[in-house]
Amino acid sequence: MTLREAAEKMGMKPVSGLSRLSREFTRGYVSDLLSDVMANAKAGDVWVTLQVHQNIVAVAALKELAAIILIGGRQPERQTLAKAEEENIPILLSELPAFEVAGRLYQMGILGKG
Amino acid sequence: MSLHILDIVENSLAAGARKVEIRIEEDLPADRMMVEIMDDGCGMDEEMAQKALDPFFTTKTVRRVGLGLPLLAEACRMTGGELCLQSCPGKGTTVRATFQCSHIDRKPLGPMTDTLMTLIIGHPEVDLIYEHRKDGRSFSLDTREIKSDLGEIPLNAPEVFSTLRALIQSGLNELEG
Repeated sequence: MTLREAAEKMGMKPVSGLSRLSREFTRGYVSDLLSDVMANAKAGDVWVTLQVHQNIVAVAALKELAAIILIGGRQPERQTLAKAEEENIPILLSELPAFEVAGRLYQMGILGKG
Repeated sequence: MSLHILDIVENSLAAGARKVEIRIEEDLPADRMMVEIMDDGCGMDEEMAQKALDPFFTTKTVRRVGLGLPLLAEACRMTGGELCLQSCPGKGTTVRATFQCSHIDRKPLGPMTDTLMTLIIGHPEVDLIYEHRKDGRSFSLDTREIKSDLGEIPLNAPEVFSTLRALIQSGLNELEG
């Protein structure tokens, strides 16, 4: 599944990295602790979080994550958006809570491991 | 938090510091916690000090991101505190992080003994001064004094390790009352 398809199916709004939305992904990771994401997320994962600070873009760049999904209607900070544009990292906004986002992705075949 | 501290002190060492002071103050009546790290490293000019809080700024060449200070700054901000960076080229840098002690998102201090032992054993040539105050009690450690007591024996000698570790652990335990 591509990021664009996931965004359309789940009503998520892409706000950065628009040129990378055709990227395929198969795995996801949910965590709000950045050190945990640095330790355990894998390259190519979609990352579901409530954190909106620009540090999330640095973590996503470092770990080569496919995209960041911000949950619960949270908006990225201005600097976060600017950095995400610079780094060309897709940020998708969802109105749903994290559990719901992960559940729907899982139903569509996105796994947490493997 | 002890890992944040280790991270920041590693910055000091990379900046060529010969002396690093770590001060921790837990002021429970005022509900404030302060962590201060002072070094005599090469320091930063104003422009670099500004950039140091940007997660995409780093002096490393192997990676493009540097998250030590940005992560600590965000940890402060989440608890209603702040991170203050003072630096003077040629003289050194002081990082002061403040937190609201009781804030639910404040990270626990964590295994400070491990952080101190890692620094002492890994960098015996650097003078490390640690001062921790809590509730009117205090614990302090100065590796210059320990080195002078040890004389010829190096600070990272195996037989010194367990004694030093026990000393730090019991000092920190006493702070908890």
